[in-house]
Amino acid sequence: MAAAVTRRARRFPPVGGGPEAGPCGGAMRAVVLLWLLLPGLAALEPLSVGLAIGVASALTGYLSHPSFYCSYVECCPGSGHRLNATALREQLDGRLFGQHLAKEVVLRAVTGFSNNPSPKKPLTLSLHGWAGTGKNFLSQLLARHVHPAGLRSKFVHLFLATLHFPHPQRVPLYQEQLQNWIRGNVSACAHSVFIFDEMDKMHQGLIDAIKPFLDYYEQVDGVSYRKAIFIFLSNAGGDLINKAALDFWTSGKRREDIQLKDLEPMLSVGVFNNKNSGLWHSSLIDRNLIDYFVPLLPLEHKHVKMCVRAEMIARGHEVDEKVVQAVADEMTYFPKETRIYSDKGCKTVQAKLDIHEDIAKAVD
Amino acid sequence: MEEGSIAPSPCWCHLQSFSCGLAVNLFAGDCELWSVKSSFTVRIFSHLVSRVVVRAVRGFLSNAQAKKPLALSLHGWTGTGKNFVSRIIAESIYKRGLKSNYVHQFVATLHFPHAHSINLYKDQLQSWIRGNVSICPRSIFIFDEMDKMHAGLIDAIKPFLDYYELLDGVSYRQAIFIFLSNAGAEKITEVALDFWRNGKAREDIQLTDMQNALSVSVFNNRNSGFWHSTLIDRNLIDYFVPFLPLEYKHVKMCVRVEIESRGYAVDEDILSRVADEMTYFPREERIYSDKGCKTVDAKLDYYYDL
Repeated sequence: MAAAVTRRARRFPPVGGGPEAGPCGGAMRAVVLLWLLLPGLAALEPLSVGLAIGVASALTGYLSHPSFYCSYVECCPGSGHRLNATALREQLDGRLFGQHLAKEVVLRAVTGFSNNPSPKKPLTLSLHGWAGTGKNFLSQLLARHVHPAGLRSKFVHLFLATLHFPHPQRVPLYQEQLQNWIRGNVSACAHSVFIFDEMDKMHQGLIDAIKPFLDYYEQVDGVSYRKAIFIFLSNAGGDLINKAALDFWTSGKRREDIQLKDLEPMLSVGVFNNKNSGLWHSSLIDRNLIDYFVPLLPLEHKHVKMCVRAEMIARGHEVDEKVVQAVADEMTYFPKETRIYSDKGCKTVQAKLDIHEDIAKAVD
Repeated sequence: MEEGSIAPSPCWCHLQSFSCGLAVNLFAGDCELWSVKSSFTVRIFSHLVSRVVVRAVRGFLSNAQAKKPLALSLHGWTGTGKNFVSRIIAESIYKRGLKSNYVHQFVATLHFPHAHSINLYKDQLQSWIRGNVSICPRSIFIFDEMDKMHAGLIDAIKPFLDYYELLDGVSYRQAIFIFLSNAGAEKITEVALDFWRNGKAREDIQLTDMQNALSVSVFNNRNSGFWHSTLIDRNLIDYFVPFLPLEYKHVKMCVRVEIESRGYAVDEDILSRVADEMTYFPREERIYSDKGCKTVDAKLDYYYDL
């Protein structure tokens, strides 16, 4: 540092001419270059220069316009962007099995929210259900419809309680970080999607930190959160849902007859009072900031078979009913006497398929 | 088995992808293509293990769209071959086997000794797994002595075993996690003894007989690293693999293999003597070897003292 200063002092004041190293030498070089180009400048005349500048600015304007570069780089969807409801319905019908309630609720909620030019608060969905019923699957499907890249998108954020917020003693730090993260990302893209998984493992009170963003404010510190989507996934309430589904079954009613109104009130209170729920006594429910409680019903034997078939098709193999039956039979079911609902939903189907397909091939 | 051409190449190949792509024949000696070696079926004396593990690993490796990383839980009596099998799995994927940079082995009593530092271990383990899988998606993680691992430490890696497409920009769907444990060994022995006492053949023991009993007993066993862990709760373990205790004839097979690998001539007399020297349980029937095949090579040294 000192050597550079003395070097500069030595060359000050600047000496004209000659190629030298240092800042004044650079200026000399520029002057020399300009002097060499002087004859070339005589070729310039207003018309061609004007034309060149015009073309250059038009090109720049075109290249920097979103409609061009958004086909190469991911962009935040504009305010005029609408969700393709038919595509979403098709995907839900074809890939989510056994969840007539969840499908209806989610479809209506998301389409209504997307078609509303000025929503009053961000969309907040709370998905509850037993393991393997499709909560993560549904949330990823949704995210993919809002942002085509799905979880890989810059604007979709997934938080896991056990991974991102592991230590209870650091909750104040997590609160601050979470608020900054949400604020920053929503100001970058109003249509951000935030997915919070394992809400039953999340520290009570951590979720209170984001309550201000979910509320009916027009703006919070200059940022509007009204177009964002928040999805909470949790196992809490899963046992209540299972009980309700079982009651329906034992009273002989059809699964498709279960209505949201049968489940919603019981769910909200059950989750609120459950000490293990991340939403325990949280003001999220207090202030009715959750727009929709979406219950996911436990999966039956026939739904497990649908999962197996879908997996076989996805792998490009042809569907062998014997293998499908074998895999579905190998899963464990509850309750112990009636054995209706799969313990793990559709989880571990892939693994069992590997073994049974191999056996089938060996037999053939 | 047919070389799996659909699955992505092992991490070694990423560094020299050109050689692993077209010019495979030129560098045939260096680039390891997928293959689950036949040594599996030859040297594992348990029909259950070879059946399950070969199919599981092969199916997983050839599935280009795996929805979650492969999680195997190997349970069994000491000396029945759990570490051996994990070594074979590692060697069939990476040429250098356990010495590969992409195979990571954790021993509970060695790497996570102090109960009070568990938060530190959790952070370190998560960072280690995240870092290594982002470098090499097809990493293998082997956790030994799971029955000694602190309940709850394993919960730290639960997120990586789940069905997520992406976690903080890293996909864990191609990784392999292997858990080795002695927990459940009593249950396995119980089932095997029942079969023996009822006169049924050992080969008739089916996986389904074992799997459910195993899963529940491991879950409820206070000494199991899985005790009330969300790994079983969430059904993140793909396969519970039981290792049956070894009988007298299997011990003799072990001795024979050891002698052959040393290049000596097989002497049946010495075989019987070494096998007889091992201790067996239960006390009345004396069917199963206490230590499996462990200490066999030491005993052999005594007889082949040249």
